[in-house]
Amino acid sequence: MANAKFPTARPVRVGVDTGGTFTDFVCEFDNRLHVLKLPSTPADPSTAIFAGLNRIAELAGVKLSDIEVVHGTTVGTNALLQRRGARTALITTRGFEDVLAIGRQARPELYNLDAVRPPALVPDSLRFGVRERIAASGEVLEALEDNELDALAAKLEAAQVESVAISLLFSFVHPEHESRIAESISALNIPVSISHQILPEYREYERTSTVAINACLQPLMGSYLKKLAVRAPKLRVMQSSGGSISAAAAADEPVRTILSGPAGGVVGALRAARSAGLENIVTFDMGGTSTDVALCDRAGLRMTNEAVVAGLPVAVSVMDIHTVGAGGGSIARVDEGGSLRVGPESAGADPGPACYGRSRLPTVTDAHLVLGHFGGSGLLGGEFPLDGQRAREAISMLAAEMSKAAGRKVSITDAAQGVISVVNTNMERALRSISVERGYDPREFALLPFGGAGGLHAIDLAIALRIPRVIAPTSAGALSAMGVVTADVVKDLSRTVMLEVAPGIDKKLETAFKELEQIAVGALRKEGFSESKQRRERSLAARYKGQSFELNIESPKGGSENIAASFHRAHQARYGYAQESDVVEIVSTKLRSIGIVKQFKEPRILGSRKSAWAKPHSSGVAYFDGTEHRIGIYQRDDLGAGMKLRTPCIVTEYSATTLIPEGAKARVDLFGNLIIELRDSKKSSSGRVARA
Amino acid sequence: MRNRFDPTTLEIYRALYTSVAEEMGIALRRTAFSPNIKERRDYSCAVFDSNGRVIAQGDHMPVHLGSMPMAVAAALSELKMAPGDVVALNDPFAGGTHLPDVTLVMGVFGRDQVSGAKYQVPAKKKKNRHLTPHTRHPLFFVANRAHHADMGGATPGSMGLATDVYGEGLRLPPIRLVRAGEIVEDVMRLILANVRGHAERRGDFQAQIGSLKTGESRLLEIVARRGVTEAQEYALHLIAYSGRLMRHAIELIPDGTYQAEDWLDDDGISEAKIPIRVRIAVDGNRALVDFGGSAQQVAGAINAVEAITVSAVSYVFRCLIGGDVPASAGLMEPIEVIAPAGTVVNAVHPASVAGGNVETSQRIVDVLFKALAQALPDRIPAASQGTMNNLTIGGIDPRTGREFSYYETVAGGMGARANHDGMSAVHTHMTNSLNTPVEALEYSYPLRIREYNIRRHSGGNGRRRGGDGVVREIEALAPARMSILADRRKHAPYGQNGGEEGTVGNDIIIQQGSSRPIASKGSWELQPGDRVRIETPGGGGFGRSSGAREARRKHKA
Repeated sequence: MANAKFPTARPVRVGVDTGGTFTDFVCEFDNRLHVLKLPSTPADPSTAIFAGLNRIAELAGVKLSDIEVVHGTTVGTNALLQRRGARTALITTRGFEDVLAIGRQARPELYNLDAVRPPALVPDSLRFGVRERIAASGEVLEALEDNELDALAAKLEAAQVESVAISLLFSFVHPEHESRIAESISALNIPVSISHQILPEYREYERTSTVAINACLQPLMGSYLKKLAVRAPKLRVMQSSGGSISAAAAADEPVRTILSGPAGGVVGALRAARSAGLENIVTFDMGGTSTDVALCDRAGLRMTNEAVVAGLPVAVSVMDIHTVGAGGGSIARVDEGGSLRVGPESAGADPGPACYGRSRLPTVTDAHLVLGHFGGSGLLGGEFPLDGQRAREAISMLAAEMSKAAGRKVSITDAAQGVISVVNTNMERALRSISVERGYDPREFALLPFGGAGGLHAIDLAIALRIPRVIAPTSAGALSAMGVVTADVVKDLSRTVMLEVAPGIDKKLETAFKELEQIAVGALRKEGFSESKQRRERSLAARYKGQSFELNIESPKGGSENIAASFHRAHQARYGYAQESDVVEIVSTKLRSIGIVKQFKEPRILGSRKSAWAKPHSSGVAYFDGTEHRIGIYQRDDLGAGMKLRTPCIVTEYSATTLIPEGAKARVDLFGNLIIELRDSKKSSSGRVARA
Repeated sequence: MRNRFDPTTLEIYRALYTSVAEEMGIALRRTAFSPNIKERRDYSCAVFDSNGRVIAQGDHMPVHLGSMPMAVAAALSELKMAPGDVVALNDPFAGGTHLPDVTLVMGVFGRDQVSGAKYQVPAKKKKNRHLTPHTRHPLFFVANRAHHADMGGATPGSMGLATDVYGEGLRLPPIRLVRAGEIVEDVMRLILANVRGHAERRGDFQAQIGSLKTGESRLLEIVARRGVTEAQEYALHLIAYSGRLMRHAIELIPDGTYQAEDWLDDDGISEAKIPIRVRIAVDGNRALVDFGGSAQQVAGAINAVEAITVSAVSYVFRCLIGGDVPASAGLMEPIEVIAPAGTVVNAVHPASVAGGNVETSQRIVDVLFKALAQALPDRIPAASQGTMNNLTIGGIDPRTGREFSYYETVAGGMGARANHDGMSAVHTHMTNSLNTPVEALEYSYPLRIREYNIRRHSGGNGRRRGGDGVVREIEALAPARMSILADRRKHAPYGQNGGEEGTVGNDIIIQQGSSRPIASKGSWELQPGDRVRIETPGGGGFGRSSGAREARRKHKA
């Protein structure tokens, strides 16, 4: 049918994000970007995915099987949160079987007598030690005997495990023992996750946890992706590091996809910022129960290998996203000491805030409603009405409690404003921790809000942190799907080498990098990238000998002096001092290999006359910072390129609302992004921003 | 009006001041050199008002929390701090606890236009650094305390078994380590000449100073943004706020007098057990905690100074509040502590005190909970391992020719609770330091870990089971001197409500294939190939275990 019009199947690439209430699709054909939203099907996410893909196939006139699909998924995260992974065995060096149960020996909360730790991912009865030992130098202290292997295979078979994780001490300096174990159990025909392959880096607890998570998720992720690939064979999956990978590779190493959805959001945000000509951004994704913040600068996305998911360390490279347990659904109360607390308890989506009509809980969303911040039309373009009366009742109960604590009358608007101020203080802390505390000056950044509630708080936060500019991106509702579809294909490899920086080190590093590159080139070729479409970035995890936290530096050309000099500079920048007489130690070599994906052409939106004032859709009354204002209410879809907005105002769109106070300058750029400039905040009287 | 406050603003200041303390901690951890501070996070940071009363602390080491205020009080009483001065101290009898814990204190001075206070003549040097003069008095104080891997003395790690404080290492009364922004090199050199691993020590001191500066600039930012009057007023409101929460928590304890006794095994010098007694009298929203009848101070190094005893009391009562409370001076307002001078809970000069901080503090917690369990039988858990199992190994690393000093505390079993089993292999009560990863340890020291596992079935039986302890076996690869400071080797962690006791700990040396038990306190020489094996205590059980459950357990085993 449609194929008659397009005799050769044209390439159509679709980004799919299943993270939220809606499954979002973004694709490009006919030189236009198309966004589609369908209700998610949490029981089986593939139902919504296929419904959407079918519709797109029809629209674009191609076969579903010809569509290139890039998928941001929460299947792995959810399985881990709910502990629904496979029955997994863990094989360790004998004497260290309890590494997962001991962890770092700390308790989660200092003053809570009833605190509990999540149980170890692999239970007692499925942890097996083998007699063998390798030293830090790579020397074999105790060889692995064959009879040991036979016994192990029998035990695993008897235990009827569905997946196996292998993590021996110092396997990254001498992988042979792990390889032999894997080989000896290959006859069992179950997935095996091997530590020297997934994460050849030191610190046994973090490595073992990563490998065990991988093993737990492998069967589940494998069958989920297989199901998708049957009908959409050109399938890729978003990784937590901000690059995508083939479905086959993701099925082997699902631990790399564990923050797939949030990573897509940050990549999408960065893309939107770049279209507006900016590189230094702080992303602010505020939803109903939690908020994710991340920082990107010229060097791109910041990575960490210290992520924790569902209470378990994940030490592969993931985007450095900081999460706080506060959002629109956070519940406000006055505690026994008279302080106004907001969160961490959340009303969630069900029963939800008082204004959803099913509870009497005063939440952040209710406070906004009382203050007139939704422009009077409810959520989701009016499809989801809000009960203003209920919100007022809930907040006035809170105001009564506050009055009692304060010993004077607290008005309902003061109470609502108080809730917003407290939640902003918590958000500000999160933003500080990824910027100021890491040596970045917020004045050089733009704040990029997304998620349902991001725009309600962004300007207040920008003012508090002296961030001069806020960008509300176009199609903020599908930012994650956008990021997923435009992300490059990325393969991260690393290996602990533990070398002191001394003459001759460059040769050793070169050998180590060459080995990693050989693996990477092959892996990306498998993903369909010829060597000319590949790019590689070498970096080093380095520290002063004796320290225990590493800094990542680009691997410089030249010998040991260059390496040391470049580390001293990085340490100076991050911590404010360098110890040039100290020995620098290279902990690991890291290689990021990139398969370059063709980028979409950024679509421009239609403009009216240059710098025309936009016409408000309606007007209303709202409270900003405690005072009542007559405000314009704009609809995002009505705003053309180049238009300016009169402030104070509210901009509403399908899944988000942006508050813009008096004095801020707001305009729409060529791509539909809403750019809000805040007046130059005066310099702090202490003269400089604290550097951590 | 002083006592009128706004609930929103109160909450904002709670978050602001706490985040200052937390940021100080992050700065310290990220820049320190010794694994003990960086990997194990054995440090604490706090913010104080202009009178030296604590207003916020990071969630760091509980044992430090209650005792930091005394350090600031000691610094203030002995020295007048000028802008840019940093005072260091570790003297257990003048604000410290034990010698390895070194506290640094700095005044945070405002700028004149901020405070409106009288001017001081600006420092002559570096005119361009601060254009405006400082306030005469500090607006705040900031302090941090870090456990240094060595502070001199006879045994590497300064945690050995001396019989007076002189034998334990270098004692610092409050002295200026930094004057007007410059390190006082004479003092620094004196300190470094007396400690092992002087390069690492200097790096750690610098990290502590940097952390104070982080706190200073954050506080000045708050003052600049919100004004000094409000910032100082709400510091007072926060103190009152913690006081209200504590009074509320005490009100929920039935009025009455509750007494208990528990014991430390010995002091490492003699075999005699050492009783600690407490009588808690609850009356409305106030509590009196009286340690009268506890043992006189002893020769071995398990004497606790008063600051530690107050810390332990403050920890126990804070656990009763639930939720996060600012650890401000207000917490202790409704509680009076009586610790007779010259006893193991208020040792006086020249007692040796290395273990008071780490061992006696745990027993004080145990005895307090034991007494409170009579009042709140469903809320108070059984005893946890009740020791930190301090292990120190030092010598020369043959790979580098340099001195090394490895210090670690080993986790154990947590006592069972009414609704949960105790956690296994976890640090409890007065400490929460992390372990040193096996692979990190073997890269750093001439040591090898032979076993690191859970010590099965060491937790006490009960309706809820006590958590299991840990086995950690370490082999020396070079000649080394090893010290252990541990307890609960004779007197087991108690059960609660009919639950059974946890299993006591063991310490063993394995030499040339034969193993022998050693004392829980002392120092030994290790030769290459020798091993030390620490088996830590299990937690007590909670409630009587039913026969069925017991049978199931036996069947499983």
